[in-house]
Amino acid sequence: MAAVLTLPFAPAQTWTLAGFFKALSSRLGGDAEPLDEPTIQRLVERARTGDRDAAQRLYRQNVDRVFRTVRGMLRSDAEAEDVTQDAMLAVLTSLDRYSPRSDARFAAWVASVAANTARRRFRRRRPELTETGELPDVPDEQAQPEHEIDTARERAALLRALSELAPAEREIVSLRYGAELNASEIAKLVKLEPANVRKILERTRERLGARIETLLKREGTIK
Amino acid sequence: MNDTEITQLWTRLEPNGRQRARIENRVFEWVEASETSLLAEWLNLIKVDPLPGLGFAAMATVSLLMLTPLGWVATSVLR
Repeated sequence: MAAVLTLPFAPAQTWTLAGFFKALSSRLGGDAEPLDEPTIQRLVERARTGDRDAAQRLYRQNVDRVFRTVRGMLRSDAEAEDVTQDAMLAVLTSLDRYSPRSDARFAAWVASVAANTARRRFRRRRPELTETGELPDVPDEQAQPEHEIDTARERAALLRALSELAPAEREIVSLRYGAELNASEIAKLVKLEPANVRKILERTRERLGARIETLLKREGTIK
Repeated sequence: MNDTEITQLWTRLEPNGRQRARIENRVFEWVEASETSLLAEWLNLIKVDPLPGLGFAAMATVSLLMLTPLGWVATSVLR
């Protein structure tokens, strides 16, 4: 059941908590309402002619997706922030290079820019950092309400489970669950057959799911 | 865990408000800078602060005029 927030200064209006956070997220940068492909193509055309508002809408449609994709591939929030920034800048300044095809979504092109930027980052990383990595954030239990602690635990468990995967597997699951691409779109980006991508996804999802459940059980987040 | 559950869990990796603000500021500062020509930057500098602006513009012009031939000479000598 969705939690309901009643605002004291507007007694007739009640907002669901989810709606409230969606609106807040939209104000802070992420775009809550996904747009359909023809609308995105029109925004791309407008942004190419220098329309600032269109560029900002394209940015907000994609920035969160890019961050959660590269966060899955990289080992720290700081790296993900830098890569998201570089990737979004590359997207906005090279819209002329994007050529829409009937089978290619704009989101897939953005994901390819993000994945390439993350790969370059990964190659540049010093070997000692690749081996040890950065441990996920540990939730501060005294400073946060219970639901936030659960959220932080889930985040930490996901990051921990991801850190145990091979880089190629991390990339494929990040493109699937972070960028929300399908197996054919991922296959084009990683230069594998779609059937192979499906196999890797299935295998990795099982391992990832089992590991996350173990970690959360240990933390007491799930019984 | 199934596909939907993992997709939902992945939203935990979204940036927080501060991270979003930092990324957005940096990206749009760069975009704005790349859209502004060098000439417009200089004219703006002169408009905001006329005397130091003109001074900097003069120094930059002299530097460009002086250093470019010097650079050529240095390069050809070093070869």
